[in-house]
Amino acid sequence: MHIVCCIKQVPDTTQVKIDPVTNTLIRAGVASITNPYDLVGVEAAIKLKEKYGGKVSVITMGIPAAKVQLRECLSLGATQAVLISDRFLAGADTLATSLTLSSAILKLHADDPVQIVICGKQAIDGDTAQVGPGIATRLGFTQLTYVSEIISLDKEKGLITVRREIEGGSQVVEAKLPVLLTVELELGAPRYASLPGLVRAIREKIETWTAKEIETPPEIVGLKGSPTSVRTIFAPPPRKGGPVFESSSGLEKAVDSLLNELFEKESLLVQEIIKVDGKVEHAKEQ
Amino acid sequence: MPKNSKGREVAEIIRKKCSGCHACIGECPVDAIDIVDSVVFIEPEKCIGCGKCVPVCPTDSILFNKPLKKVSEAVPTKSTSGISEYKGVAVYIEARGNVAADVSWELVGKARELAAKLDTQVYGFVLGQNVANIAHEAVYYGCDKVYLMESPLLQTYFSRVYGKALTQLTNEVKPGIMLVGATSLGRDLASVVATHLKTGLTADCTGLDIDPNEKLLLMTRPTFGGNIMATILCRNHRPQMSTVRPKVMRMPSRDLTRKGEIIEVKFNGKVEEVPRIIETITLDPSSIIDITHSPVLVVIGKGACDSRDFSMFEELAGLLNGTIACSRPLVEAGILPYARQVGQTGKTVAPKLYIGIGVSGAVQHLVGMQSSEKVIAINADRNAAMVKVADYSLVGEYQKVVPELIRGLKARTANFQFQGAK
Repeated sequence: MHIVCCIKQVPDTTQVKIDPVTNTLIRAGVASITNPYDLVGVEAAIKLKEKYGGKVSVITMGIPAAKVQLRECLSLGATQAVLISDRFLAGADTLATSLTLSSAILKLHADDPVQIVICGKQAIDGDTAQVGPGIATRLGFTQLTYVSEIISLDKEKGLITVRREIEGGSQVVEAKLPVLLTVELELGAPRYASLPGLVRAIREKIETWTAKEIETPPEIVGLKGSPTSVRTIFAPPPRKGGPVFESSSGLEKAVDSLLNELFEKESLLVQEIIKVDGKVEHAKEQ
Repeated sequence: MPKNSKGREVAEIIRKKCSGCHACIGECPVDAIDIVDSVVFIEPEKCIGCGKCVPVCPTDSILFNKPLKKVSEAVPTKSTSGISEYKGVAVYIEARGNVAADVSWELVGKARELAAKLDTQVYGFVLGQNVANIAHEAVYYGCDKVYLMESPLLQTYFSRVYGKALTQLTNEVKPGIMLVGATSLGRDLASVVATHLKTGLTADCTGLDIDPNEKLLLMTRPTFGGNIMATILCRNHRPQMSTVRPKVMRMPSRDLTRKGEIIEVKFNGKVEEVPRIIETITLDPSSIIDITHSPVLVVIGKGACDSRDFSMFEELAGLLNGTIACSRPLVEAGILPYARQVGQTGKTVAPKLYIGIGVSGAVQHLVGMQSSEKVIAINADRNAAMVKVADYSLVGEYQKVVPELIRGLKARTANFQFQGAK
């Protein structure tokens, strides 16, 4: 059983602070972490490896510093880690990223056939949830997204059964391998690394592949291979405070004035919210 | 203009503007650019001052004054000649049994606005089995043409087969823009189709508009945990694809007098192996706490964390068809579950109406709710940060204010005939 996990180095968005004056993001000093969803996927892969044997390969596309994240996965028990790093790969959008990662998976596949690919549901910096389905489509693997539980794996028959979260509930699905799973946090928190695991993670050699090694021509990856481009980034406009009604000058009057303003100025919103039949203007006549 | 020790004029990053997109890293011929603390850093001793990084920066964050030769824009090499063939604004209409998901109609409403700016038509793409009635509905909601693809192979949704079907339809109809509802199904499907078509896809847009000069789709979305907004373009590939979350766009009216054309299209797909659905568990909608999709939130803060008052908050939420949410201290105190927490470490919400009761308005909370349409603050402290950003504020003890608010709301709504929830 060969399982490949795709991980991403992301800024820890929970540490982000906002500059109160400019209303922009203070990014300096924000640590990089492994995308939490991806780490849950790595944990699931290692559990499968422990139960059914085989190996877990962890890959990431990123800058050389992303080796830190790969070593973290090695410390948890991943078999091998590969960094895909090349200046031609920089600036990739989701289409170019899925091409790069699927090319790397094909290279691993040629060496030892891959049965399961696991990706986090989404990354916490971009939140797109597009790369996983993109890789599955390129590899021709069956995609099972939003997986919250791996129920069973039948190695002999090549079948996997999982629970997926869907709108308004969940679904138990059985699919033939090879599959690509995108996983939810509910799948289970990653373990703590053991001391031998940490030692191994430091010693293990991490291979680095360039665009040439995964056979992707520079014009179809990275910035050049990305159909989308960022035109502008901006902070959401700061909110300005509106009228303040003081209850110290009469509670009933304050509440009444607020509701009057609300029903007058925000009549569309009020209508939508309380599903009122008829015109809100009538409120004034009452 | 900074110079390095060799006296060479070098490029420098404006750290506050850098979006950390890595675009410049790929351009640098001498590997002088790296990421430090999530922001790009240009090593001055390595930089040769060629200026190649400047034109690719989407946010103009690179300081470099040397006059540049006009560099042709780094765009994919795919031919752009066929782009003019792609016209119209298409919406994928998500069928659930024989009704459509509401988000599909919300997108048809948005598509009408976009189509008006482009002077073009709105297409509805309806896929499934026995879904012809949805095609008629699509006309009533605003589609000029509805392409209906019915096949037994499309009885149940599977990403691969639906991906092929929608790709086929898109290749035949050639819409300039395609919008898909960002449901769990829609997010999968849009990504599969964009990968097949090798076009750009922008997820979870909160704003869609047309650039008046270039006639390109401007796709605006929150990124970086909702802390910044990015406007994305798909310049040289068609269709320009975007997914939009439910309840972001306004529901258009259903007009039975609208006329439109329904065109049946045959699916060329073959029978193939699909996953087997063993069991589907549908939860009672009332048992699902989802504060991100509720149009009205009554948010409880530290200043109102007495659980004896909760019946009062629930009554207020009930009157407004809203949901109870909270700030972090209530979760830490074990009063409400994490699923209800708004803020940086909780959920990012953007309801139509946010009512904060005793919420002080710490920055970490504000970033999680600043995209709310209208904000009402109920707070004992006139100087609370929340009062400064709220559209309307009521200063007073919440134990007195909330019952009075409930009474006032009841008096006003009692005069109206309720349609009742559908």
